[in-house]
Amino acid sequence: MLAVKAEGLSKTYMDEAAPVTVFQNLDFDLEKGVFAAVMGPSGVGKSTLLHLLGGIDRPDAGRVEILGVSLDDLSPKERARFRNERIGFVFQFHHLLPEFTAEENVAFPHRIAGISARDARQRAAKLLDRVGLADRHSHLSRSLSGGEQQRVAIARALARGPSLLLADEPTGNLDSESARGVFDLLTELHRECAMTTVLVTHNPELAKRCDKIFNMSREGILPATRFSG
Amino acid sequence: MSFETSVALRYLAASRRRAHVALISTISMLGLAVGVAALIISLSLLSGFQDRIRAQMAERTPHLRVSPARGPTLPEPDRVREALVSLNGVVAVEPAIEGRGWVSASAIESTLPIRYRNAPEGELSAMDGGPPLTRISSSVATRTRTAPGDLLRVTSSRTRLSPLGPLPVAVVFRIADIRHAAALEKTPDIEIPEDTARLLAGLPSGARAYEARLADPARAEVASRAVSLLLGPNYRVQTWRELNAPLSFALRLEKGVIFATVALVIVVAALNIVSNIALTVVEKKRDLGVLTSLGATPGSLARIYLTLGAVIGALGTAFGVAVGVSASLLLDRYEIVTLPADVYLLTHVPFSVHPREVALVAAFALATAVAAAALPARAAARLAPGEAIRLSR
Repeated sequence: MLAVKAEGLSKTYMDEAAPVTVFQNLDFDLEKGVFAAVMGPSGVGKSTLLHLLGGIDRPDAGRVEILGVSLDDLSPKERARFRNERIGFVFQFHHLLPEFTAEENVAFPHRIAGISARDARQRAAKLLDRVGLADRHSHLSRSLSGGEQQRVAIARALARGPSLLLADEPTGNLDSESARGVFDLLTELHRECAMTTVLVTHNPELAKRCDKIFNMSREGILPATRFSG
Repeated sequence: MSFETSVALRYLAASRRRAHVALISTISMLGLAVGVAALIISLSLLSGFQDRIRAQMAERTPHLRVSPARGPTLPEPDRVREALVSLNGVVAVEPAIEGRGWVSASAIESTLPIRYRNAPEGELSAMDGGPPLTRISSSVATRTRTAPGDLLRVTSSRTRLSPLGPLPVAVVFRIADIRHAAALEKTPDIEIPEDTARLLAGLPSGARAYEARLADPARAEVASRAVSLLLGPNYRVQTWRELNAPLSFALRLEKGVIFATVALVIVVAALNIVSNIALTVVEKKRDLGVLTSLGATPGSLARIYLTLGAVIGALGTAFGVAVGVSASLLLDRYEIVTLPADVYLLTHVPFSVHPREVALVAAFALATAVAAAALPARAAARLAPGEAIRLSR
């Protein structure tokens, strides 16, 4: 069964000077449970693809189906709820809210879902323990190291037990040791949570450890190459 | 506490670390506080004066007046009297014997049209053998050039038949007292004893109307409804407020105009809130994108900024209310603003704080703050989250 099915996606951004077409008529399918890496040069639209798959951006043309649900058929409110329950995002620059502690950041998806602050923080604490930050619960996110911040971001993405994890260069801003640690954590959690994961990366060594690699270029996404499994 | 409120509160608390946002937040709150305080002080000042005018009105005007719905006299005066006496809190019931006529005095050649009515029972009791007594208004005294002790002839508009034909009914009075009416006060030109009033009006029994005084004038509306129910549709029941409707309207209008004018300060202060929140929206654009990726709806994002506006509004309003109420109470308690007593009849400017008005000012300030936040909040809800994240790298 397909976890991700994207057909004929086109996206153009309005730049200050002129419209910038990121990609046109792009197709992308991914089976359930696969850990896939998307590689490609900067500017081909890898992050944009993740945003379209996660429903935080809308394609100009084409359609996206996640776990059999067409995002186009959902109202903004339903799409937000679907994202909260089924999709996790990890960004390159972690994008934690700096005014909040690690625990509060991880509790956000629960709070958005309407879970009480106390319950949400208890659940967040467990996840932080799982990602190896048991002693960092009450630290403000800006006081954590880059690797720790990315672990918090991963915990936040997994808070609601998503079926699809979209990670946009989560190791791109880390030193090689931290990057390896974060990647190892992602692969472990991918297996533990039985998720489908799409990882955008520039690191071929890490990509080789994924189930599939997609090479993205101006022409589209090249056929997948299987390395393992 | 909802997650929107916790985010809004944290943004506000954290704004202390961002000097420019902190400055604008402080200016927004202080601006609102100044507006609220100014409005409360202005309204308290007006209320101070108006309460005194109303107290005089309540003192000098009958609290309830029952007159016939049609015709010049009450069809069943005894029933009206009994209905008024049966009310709770009634301290006096008097018939109103009134009419129009002319006065003449030795000092003036012409006559002066006037309205007369009976004085409250027991007042203006005539001395044995002398002419009946009257209390005249200062305006009549000036125009007839008379003083207490002088004689005044009152000729009724009514005539009586005599062997010589119709003759005007006239009575000579001695002036007992001169009444100085307050501004816009509705008083009869001359007050005379009941028996002479009946003679002039040609009303040996009954009354044009019945008037009652209450222990608590504030209960006049309740008492009015009760009497109306008892007497039915053939009678017109008016409270002291209705009898002084033009003055009451003028006082309300005055307060409304002052409110609308001084409230502009609050509106101007609200513009600072717009810029404060708009700045936060721009600064926290990335957070909006991230919260969207976590499942927050556009409505949730808007609520964060509406809450921020409400919190800034509440803090500013609370501070303004504290300053405004304290200042008004102190100004009244210590009689700080003095007046020349010979000009104003008051030695100091009175301030009266009405809790209802304070609540109205607070509600207006809070609503204005939230309305001001609505504009940037709407912008936050419409933000493209993908773009917010993409551009914040």
